[in-house]
Amino acid sequence: MKKYSQTTAQIGDFSQLPLSQKYAWVDLLYVGYGLSIVALVLVSYVFGMLDLLPYDPQQINMDLLMSPPFSEGYILGTDFMGRDIRSRLIMGIQAYFLPGMLAVSISLVVGVVLGILSGYYGGRLETVITYITNLVDSFPRLVLILLVVAAFKPDIYYIMIVMGITGIPAVSTAIANKIRFLAQKNFIEAAIALGLRTRVIIFKHILWYNCRALLIIQATLGMGEAILLETSLSYLGFGVQEPVPSWGNMVQSGANYFLQGNFWPSTAPALAILFTILGFNLLGDGLNNILEDRRGK
Amino acid sequence: MSKTILEVIQLSKHFSRHHSLLQKFKRRSEVIPAVDNISFYLRENETMGLVGESGCGKTTVGRTVLRLTKPTSGSVFFDGQEITYMSDSELRPIRKDMQLIFQDLDAGLNPKMRVQSILQEAISVYGHLSDAEVRVKSHMLLDQVNLKYSKLSSYPSELSGGEKRRVGIARVLAVGAKMIVADEPTSALDVSIQAQVVNLLRDLQKQLGLSYLFISHDLQVVEMMSHKVAVMYLGKIVEMGLTERVSGAARHPYTYILWSSLVEKQSREALQPVNLDRRASWGVFDFERPTRGCRFAPRCPVYERRGHPQECTDPENEPKLRDVGEGHQVACHFPLEG
Amino acid sequence: MTQPLLKIDNLRTYFYARSKQSFVRAVDGVSLEVGQRETVGVVGESGSGKSIAAMSIMGLISAGPGVIGGSIQYASSRVQKNLLEGLQDFVKLDERDGRVMGVSKNESGWQKASEHTMKNLRGKEISMIFQNPRASLNPYISVGEQITEAVRLHTVYKSRKEARERAIYWLEQVRIDSPRLRFNAYPAAMSGGMCQRAMIAMALSSEPSLLIADEPTTGLDATIQSKIVDLMEEIKNGTGISTLLISHDISVISRLADRVAVMYGGAVVEYGFAKQVLGADASIKHPYTAALLASVPSEQKIRDKSNLHAIDGDVLDTINVPPGCRFFARCNQITPEIRERCATLHPDLKEIAPGHQVRCWLFESKAT
Repeated sequence: MKKYSQTTAQIGDFSQLPLSQKYAWVDLLYVGYGLSIVALVLVSYVFGMLDLLPYDPQQINMDLLMSPPFSEGYILGTDFMGRDIRSRLIMGIQAYFLPGMLAVSISLVVGVVLGILSGYYGGRLETVITYITNLVDSFPRLVLILLVVAAFKPDIYYIMIVMGITGIPAVSTAIANKIRFLAQKNFIEAAIALGLRTRVIIFKHILWYNCRALLIIQATLGMGEAILLETSLSYLGFGVQEPVPSWGNMVQSGANYFLQGNFWPSTAPALAILFTILGFNLLGDGLNNILEDRRGK
Repeated sequence: MSKTILEVIQLSKHFSRHHSLLQKFKRRSEVIPAVDNISFYLRENETMGLVGESGCGKTTVGRTVLRLTKPTSGSVFFDGQEITYMSDSELRPIRKDMQLIFQDLDAGLNPKMRVQSILQEAISVYGHLSDAEVRVKSHMLLDQVNLKYSKLSSYPSELSGGEKRRVGIARVLAVGAKMIVADEPTSALDVSIQAQVVNLLRDLQKQLGLSYLFISHDLQVVEMMSHKVAVMYLGKIVEMGLTERVSGAARHPYTYILWSSLVEKQSREALQPVNLDRRASWGVFDFERPTRGCRFAPRCPVYERRGHPQECTDPENEPKLRDVGEGHQVACHFPLEG
Repeated sequence: MTQPLLKIDNLRTYFYARSKQSFVRAVDGVSLEVGQRETVGVVGESGSGKSIAAMSIMGLISAGPGVIGGSIQYASSRVQKNLLEGLQDFVKLDERDGRVMGVSKNESGWQKASEHTMKNLRGKEISMIFQNPRASLNPYISVGEQITEAVRLHTVYKSRKEARERAIYWLEQVRIDSPRLRFNAYPAAMSGGMCQRAMIAMALSSEPSLLIADEPTTGLDATIQSKIVDLMEEIKNGTGISTLLISHDISVISRLADRVAVMYGGAVVEYGFAKQVLGADASIKHPYTAALLASVPSEQKIRDKSNLHAIDGDVLDTINVPPGCRFFARCNQITPEIRERCATLHPDLKEIAPGHQVRCWLFESKAT
């Protein structure tokens, strides 16, 4: 049984409705959660950078091994070497934050440039760029990374550069398609006919108004992927090495003690990975739905 | 005698259809002569109608004349200057005088920008004005197109069809157009709104001395608006002249059929029964021999009745536009009696 | 007096705009009739509700809340039924001051009931053709096959061979040249006019009693439009089928319709014989009809090069429906005496001449 009712006060334009009625609550929830995670990560990163940690993450405390969470002074407990987990988690962010930003920046910047060149100018340029991006896209990312690791060294920055490069095709094709869509609707032609400068058309109309959502979403999802990549590789031993903390290698080293009943040293970083990546993904998803008006007004 | 604002000489625009990537690089492809050797001129304060069925190339003429695509051959003179081969940067200052009203009501209206911003952008394209000046000009434009000032804060999605069309017109006026190519300006609108737009365009012409190239398949509206009319068929102009003569005393069989199909709808007089089901299109068989003499021959009743005369299908003997009195031109081997 | 083939009584179809938290009163109390062997034309612009009314008849409305009231009595020689039977069981209306302000509807329940009713009528008794012929034909099946399918489903010709012959017969009837050749053609290879003819053939092949044509000529080139109109006239005279013809093109309606209904803002504002409604005498017409006729370019106006009589303002959006007459804001025939009534009271359809009804306060005194 569905109920519909007309409010006696008729609201005017859609653009004046309060936020809660404009968008689906689910999306607002996603975005809210995502933003809080991002804020938490950002703040923690800054603290980590400024060394504003409760304890020294490397400080070994042999008499306080494996303290459970909420023990005296150690909110998140200690690991198998007595090191404070909270401080280690905060330091762990260092492992993926800047490298992740690097990967995302490479994908976005190069992707946007290629996307615009191929979408706006078309012709032979488009053909060539499409071939190249298809080529890059067809490479399995993990294999490429392992090759780089084997050829050089397990440096997280090298890894992220590879990730950035393999992420270019997604961005450039998305932008080129968007431009094609706009062209079909005579959008670009109308702007040219009016006499707008190319620069203005590209930056203002195409990128800012139409691709803004796309880029934000690629950025958030890209960051989520970067975190996943870094933690996975560190877990496998190819990324950040002990004793420098990374969420991935924390899970790995804690794994030995898992079967002995000491869940916490592994679980804590695992939960951190889970909630953080979830946060980035939901942020991207929620923003996508809101900005692209997917869930019908 | 007002001066000529647009002169088009032997304009052609060919499109190539590529079948594979390799063909694209080797430039081996099929050529569609969408616009083939068109010549006409338009004076200040004058409206020229361009009619024909869909696919005849009239939209392409409009876009080529405004240099939104490069012509394959021929020349276009706007306000005395040859714009055929100008670069984009050379064209920019000229573009403000020649504008286009798109068939699609949403073209040019960024759905994320309010009307106010859209107009402000158009006003500021060619010169920087202060905020106050922009506001004054916006209000003046809205007055000219009969829109309420309250519409300034609306988004395009909140406007009705007629309102969108009028914002489009305001946008084009904001830049300071002297000549407007109107591509199917009334097609997507309701009948009562069409009347509003037609009246508006006529009033603007009287007030501002505008010239229009009025492209439409709605013959009655074209008749109302245009001083002269050109009829296109598969890329060529088959008849051109003053509106009254072309509509009332058509000489080309195609023109006659076009106009009589109107009358047929309204009254029950069955005029010459013609089988027009085989609609002309750039299909396979038309393509193979694009200049197979007269392009209208397969559908022409005169061709039928005269027992398939040789001249009509002779590939060397394409009918050319000939003057039949008072600027009225026809391209036909056997034009109808005046 | 023979029973009319289709009798729509106070049909109401509403939608809901979540962004504005209000109803879209697409069809707000429409009543009309289609008699046996009669063609009724429905004229209206966008937002008038004419297409939605047609879809409501066919039971093709899926958005919520959809059809919420009224009855559609269908009476052919084979079937007699109210197409909206049982609607009251699924819908509860909350009216205040004569206006529907709330609707509770068991949508899935009604959907099942409606399907049960319409399943055997759709395509067989009542056929519909739509505006964009290419969009309604399956692009992957040849035209002939589609018609054959319809024949086998809805008529007595069940064998493939018989059905095929019938399909070819109907292709001939709609004047498609070389029907046997065209049988195997795909919609993509056919022009717009031919696709429309094929769709008409498909609709007629099941030998329905009622044909609903929703904008059959819109979107086609001018020359083809007149040919389709010719065809429909031939069919009307030849098969004796009843037609509900919906169009915004007055010239098409005037050629084909026996009776005409003019719709504006979700309601019928004028209803009568074609000559009465579309004839030249402006004094006994609804102001909207008169204004509509005046805004179409005609021979006279073209010769005079005078301005068209445009109607001020914009077409009513059926969300912000005013309390009084829907045409009040744009009407140019309001006299001081009736102004108050026009602004506050919604007039009813009143008969001002035999068979001619108008919904306007101007004619209150003239009502018989």
